Amino acid sequence: MLCRVAEDLFWTSRYVERAIAVSRLSEVTWHLELDAGDVEDEHGDFWAPLLGPADEAPTRLRGDEHPSPDEVRHYLIFDGQNPSSLVSCVRQARSAARGVRESISSEMWEHLNTLYLSLVDPDLAAQAEDNPHGFYKRIREGAQFFQGLTDSTLAHDEVWHFTGLGKYLERADNVARVLSLQAHLLLTGEHGDDLVRWLAVLRSCGSAEAYARYYSLRVEPARVVEFLLLNPIFPQSVRFSLGAAWEALRAIGASQGISHDSATRASRALGMLSAQLEHAAVDEVLEDGLQPYLTSIRNQIAEISEHVTRGYLRDEPRPGRLVAVARAAMIMAAQQQQQ
Amino acid sequence: MTSNTGVGQAHVPLPAPGPQTPAPDYDPGPFWDEMFEGPGRVRSHYAALAGRLATLSPDEVARRQQTAELSFQVRGITFAVNQGTEGVEKIMPFDLIPRLLRAEEWRQIERGLEQRIRALNLFLADVYHEQRILTSGIIPPELVLGARGYRREFHNVNPPLGVYTHIVGSDLVRDGSGQFHVLEDNLRTPSGVSYVVENRRVLKRTWPRIFEDYDVRPIEGYPQDLLDILHAIAPANAEDPTVVLLTPGAYNSAYFEHAFLAKAMGIEMVQGSDLFVDDACVFMRTTRGRRRVDVIYRRVDDDFLDPLTFRPDSLLGVPGLVPTYRLGRVSLANAIGTGVADDKAIYAYVPRFISYYLGEEPILPNVQTFLPTEPADLRYILEHLDELVVKSVNESGGYGMLIGPHAAKEERDEYRARILADPRGFIAQPTLALSRHPCWTSDHFEGRHIDLRPFVLFGREVRVTPGGLTRVALRGGSLVVNSSQGGGGKDTWVLAEDPGA
Repeated sequence: MLCRVAEDLFWTSRYVERAIAVSRLSEVTWHLELDAGDVEDEHGDFWAPLLGPADEAPTRLRGDEHPSPDEVRHYLIFDGQNPSSLVSCVRQARSAARGVRESISSEMWEHLNTLYLSLVDPDLAAQAEDNPHGFYKRIREGAQFFQGLTDSTLAHDEVWHFTGLGKYLERADNVARVLSLQAHLLLTGEHGDDLVRWLAVLRSCGSAEAYARYYSLRVEPARVVEFLLLNPIFPQSVRFSLGAAWEALRAIGASQGISHDSATRASRALGMLSAQLEHAAVDEVLEDGLQPYLTSIRNQIAEISEHVTRGYLRDEPRPGRLVAVARAAMIMAAQQQQQ
Repeated sequence: MTSNTGVGQAHVPLPAPGPQTPAPDYDPGPFWDEMFEGPGRVRSHYAALAGRLATLSPDEVARRQQTAELSFQVRGITFAVNQGTEGVEKIMPFDLIPRLLRAEEWRQIERGLEQRIRALNLFLADVYHEQRILTSGIIPPELVLGARGYRREFHNVNPPLGVYTHIVGSDLVRDGSGQFHVLEDNLRTPSGVSYVVENRRVLKRTWPRIFEDYDVRPIEGYPQDLLDILHAIAPANAEDPTVVLLTPGAYNSAYFEHAFLAKAMGIEMVQGSDLFVDDACVFMRTTRGRRRVDVIYRRVDDDFLDPLTFRPDSLLGVPGLVPTYRLGRVSLANAIGTGVADDKAIYAYVPRFISYYLGEEPILPNVQTFLPTEPADLRYILEHLDELVVKSVNESGGYGMLIGPHAAKEERDEYRARILADPRGFIAQPTLALSRHPCWTSDHFEGRHIDLRPFVLFGREVRVTPGGLTRVALRGGSLVVNSSQGGGGKDTWVLAEDPGA
């Protein structure tokens, strides 16, 4: 498949997955806020931590000591300037998909386009205020339906594997990020026993029910970390996602006769990261420090994405290309002389 | 999908032509109306359709119109007008009532178009080889050699099968007497065929009933026919030719069509940056490395194809593509250099090409055309600017056009100056009384001017797609049908046999 198409599909897939993550996170945070009720500041602001560490937050919200929940919520959900806002994710997914619409099924395209068109409504913010639950649900379900269509209407060939690679890398990154934002606070702050908060972390990753089924025990911090990070069979865990991404990359690489240097690097890095998680134990992770562990995972994912881009999605410049063009021109000139 | 009920076997009794009409107040006016012979009198081949229409309330019609338009929007069948930016996508307005063409009328159009395309190809072959026509006295040589589309670089290049124009869209109009004329030929990158297919698809979905009364010739075969031609013109040594479609990209107004055709043919859609030339071959950049390309269906104009040969600022092309094409190592559809034959000034001579190359009388007449390069014509034009349509010879899309009777004095004066400054750059034609067709306008039917763009494929043989795009000038009284100027479209039916015949 064309490199450009692979790249656009890779990113469509990533943005759709990101939309799901942002919608879940927003909905859960909204619930937390409702539960806390009018109690001012006792549990702190729920929205601000979602901006992440100071260097990740946008400049205009950074200067503020305490950006208001409304500002943060707007930034995370509606702000066109924030490339990872919910609305931006859908817009960018649709834009990338439009550029490669001949490579995806018509159903996939039409569905994503309809989702995008529904968000272009200028009364959007008001609607979301009125019925936040309905709003988040609509987007999440729209994105999930798109993923379902991807699996059932595309042949499971290279095209499909690139969408899988994007989806699972994004998922691993998102779950790691949620853990790093929330769990870190919980482990080091005063609310280490706040089960409501831990449940919220699980819900942010769509994992609360599965957790209960897997452990059938009460929510405990170490187990939550273990479930979200290391569970081998639940599709939202970081380990599962990286494993699936690794499978996708292997399937892509399997058809390659010659492999570029970067392609090999992507394979090795992803293989190693996946193996690392396969053999980790949660108590060791917690002992060594959850935050540095998660940061390392996220950094490695970013590197892998970079290697994938360089190995498959962008052509390495080939030396001598312009020389070849000049040669063809000379052949032509010689031909003309013969006529 | 055609109906199985043919002539005389309709299971719904056809309403007799006569006073029954869905719109008793509809006035065809002084124009040839496609549907009505006169006020209240429906043409016989429209009778069944009129009967169906009479059963719909205005609300019903409006509802179906809206459903149809929503379908276009969801499919993303939009185009950008002028500069495309995010959010400025428009759908081509669709009108519910199909335009019907009788089998016998269509036969004449088909034969006429085939004749015309053959003559145009012979003209192109001549212009790029012996150039006999330039010494024949038929056409002033400077008109040909000075045409912007004339590419000297293509002298003595032999395209596969000897065909230059694989895909042609010729615009036809009907005058007040009901006779079809060719208004212009589009031989470079004609667009609109995706709308032909989509309009049919949407109409089937929003108003399936009407298909039961008629035997409509199908049009879905177009992509397969086109693919056959693209394979047929592959370079001789290509065993399993790789065919691609070259698009300028998602911001081009016809982008939907590019994606549609690529998908329907099962070929890759590429942009200039996806291709490169190495060792006089064209390759595309894939995730498995380079892959050789043999045939390019290019929707990029000659000027932008190769920055090393034509416009150096073009980012849409492929450096080195043109030498590779000249060497016959890659094939292009349409060939380079066809623009000389769809120059509007050259158009005026096409009927003479038909007799010169084929020894035949033109089956489809031209529209009378005045050339400012001829002194007598120039005088006439300047004296009658308020009656004429003036067109720039190389523009399309309804741009660069003056409609004398509708224009303000300042506009006419501006064009007068432009014509005098550059007589070679313009032509003028009488303002035709284009035929009209009932169209739905918010709450009732009104007549709107229409044209017809059939699509013709030329590979080993000439194939005319039955029907084509009927474009509608949506503003009342307007004669401009181009979508970039707000024109809409209708599904077009060629009836397999005349009903009641």
